Amino acid sequence: MTQTSDAPDVLVEVTDLEVYFPIKSGIIFDRTVGHVRAVDGVDLSIRRGETYGLVGESGCGKSTLGKAILNLEPPTAGSVVFDGTDIASLKGEDLRHARKRFQMVFQDPMSSLDPRQTVESLLLEGLRAHGLDTDTDATRARLRELMSDVGLPVAALSKYPHEFSGGQRQRIGIARALSVGPDLIVADEPVSALDVSIQAQVINLLQDLQDKLGLTYLVVAHDLAVVRHISDRIGVMYLGALVEESGGAELYDVPLHPYTRALMSAVPVPDPQVEDTREQILLTGDLPSPANPPSGCRFHTRCPWKQETLCDTERPQLRVVEVSGASDSHRVACHFAEKIASGEIQRHEVEATITTPGFGGPDAGPTAPPEAYIGV
Amino acid sequence: MTQATQHSSRPGAGSSEPLLSVRDLRVTFQRQGEEEFHAVDGVSFDVRPGQTVGLVGESGCGKSVTSLAIMGLLPGRGNRVSGSAIFDGEDLLTLSPSAMRDRRGSEIAMIFQDPLSSLNPVISIGRQVTEVMERHQGLSRKQATPKAADLLERVGIPDPKARLLNYPHQLSGGMRQRALIAMALACNPRLLIADEPTTALDVTIQAQILALLKELVVDTGTALVMITHDLGVVAGLCDEVNVLYGGKVVERGGRHGLFRDPRHPYTVGLLNSIPRLDAARGDKLSPVPGSVADNLPWTAACAFAPRCSNAIDPCTAETPQWEGDQVVGFRCFNPMGGTR
Repeated sequence: MTQTSDAPDVLVEVTDLEVYFPIKSGIIFDRTVGHVRAVDGVDLSIRRGETYGLVGESGCGKSTLGKAILNLEPPTAGSVVFDGTDIASLKGEDLRHARKRFQMVFQDPMSSLDPRQTVESLLLEGLRAHGLDTDTDATRARLRELMSDVGLPVAALSKYPHEFSGGQRQRIGIARALSVGPDLIVADEPVSALDVSIQAQVINLLQDLQDKLGLTYLVVAHDLAVVRHISDRIGVMYLGALVEESGGAELYDVPLHPYTRALMSAVPVPDPQVEDTREQILLTGDLPSPANPPSGCRFHTRCPWKQETLCDTERPQLRVVEVSGASDSHRVACHFAEKIASGEIQRHEVEATITTPGFGGPDAGPTAPPEAYIGV
Repeated sequence: MTQATQHSSRPGAGSSEPLLSVRDLRVTFQRQGEEEFHAVDGVSFDVRPGQTVGLVGESGCGKSVTSLAIMGLLPGRGNRVSGSAIFDGEDLLTLSPSAMRDRRGSEIAMIFQDPLSSLNPVISIGRQVTEVMERHQGLSRKQATPKAADLLERVGIPDPKARLLNYPHQLSGGMRQRALIAMALACNPRLLIADEPTTALDVTIQAQILALLKELVVDTGTALVMITHDLGVVAGLCDEVNVLYGGKVVERGGRHGLFRDPRHPYTVGLLNSIPRLDAARGDKLSPVPGSVADNLPWTAACAFAPRCSNAIDPCTAETPQWEGDQVVGFRCFNPMGGTR
């Protein structure tokens, strides 16, 4: 928004980014009957060398935002300025050249690696595409370096993806992203498919690589504990928009948005004493449909602090609030953040409403099954 | 030794006879031309009425196969099950398929991980819930329908009468899991086995489902076996925790004791690998090195030895024996801690 002046070394500046997916209907003529607003007006900036964590539940648009920043999903509107150039408007060959500087690590290492290519050929593909494979000896040295960077033996180069375990495959995915020497890596749920002990190995690897190569990360994940562990700054997303953004420790100490507080209290802590004593804020109902988002604040249908005015009529913007413990880089999109923090507004019960996935929003209600199927 | 009293914070827990008593359960898979694989390798545990017992471990530790073996749901071919699972005086492992069908869904019910693939997509929610009562309680569909609506209401589904006509695809993930729990509860089971019931769900929905399960256990006195990989879930829910590794229980304890003073290096490793929301940022995690592919066979070693930071000579030469009793114990030559 207006905060670019005090952030000295911004690598990625996202302004008003929107990604809408059309909902088509009709058999012969496709009519667009609506849009799924996956990302609906997001502003954020990622500083060079930092880890920005994007957290939210499924369907909140965090993965789409990650992809839109890399122009893997062309944005509907808005701009993504990467080191001075707007990637959102790049196309074709220019975009392909630019991609050398920003790479992605995917969630599922098995389906993102071609099963019929050896690791060597997987890694060479990127190098060749960007014209980095000029000297055979240099390439061979580079491949060995990549392997040692991600903690795999050199012998792994001649193997196929199925010969590795999940954690090792994720290391290959990371090596592939590193092969072209990028500045920014977008990691979409990099550890959620892995077992906890392996998860920790990959998290440590990502941190080591950042220290060694000076990488900038955008980590997209649903696990708040993982995101908090690796991120310098965290953005919390709900239904296509950021609802809160702050430093990692501060977000945990002074959560300002009701959704952040609920999310935080829902994460189980492996300590029975903490589990027994902490306050839990149980949200009722499910995420509303992004095809028909609620008016006003997106969260008002489930918010235990919802007020009679403003919440359902006016959409709150991210703003800095005057609350003790909150720094001036802590932004929150809630009309009543100060009053909730001071305890002036108390929590109340929320009636659960059913939300159906698909076209109908929270107001449309569930669609009845076709007559013919009842009682089959 | 305070564990014996610690897990008895709930009514009925710890005091009565076990409802389910699993002894030396072994499941061996054999494929033609391949070596035998011991998925479950001598697992024993007890579940008492009103008690919640957790089976925790990473993928491949045998936790799901244990539950499938108890429920008699393993495929008929290619595996061998031995040991016993005494439920109410009968060994579930030796019951005939038809006798097992009578118990499954009525006295013992199961909740699976993925609610979409465990619900029939072309049958309405109402029919799927009433089916259980028609089969086990001999009710007609007319009689069962209002009961099904009550069940849906009890598990927190809004507007239950309208939901009865819905199909699984019309409900969200959390609602589907609630519908599945309603089916499991239809005949007031005495034992409920939940296999990763919240793994496919978002954290806020997970919190709702866990709160619901907790409430049900307290209200109905149902015994719950909770199978999960998430130590956080266990910490909030289970009275007794069994940590599985390579098909064996490597450590057991009351939840307070186990988390405060874990003895087995694997339990310690697991706890250290989890990033915690309430811990200071920036500390490095200390993961368990290697992967399950490094495991040694239990026959002449500790399977965990190659990944263990505490391994000593006998670890790679002998099978560690169970040290302790049916309530607390571990399987290790060189345990950590030792203050309890």
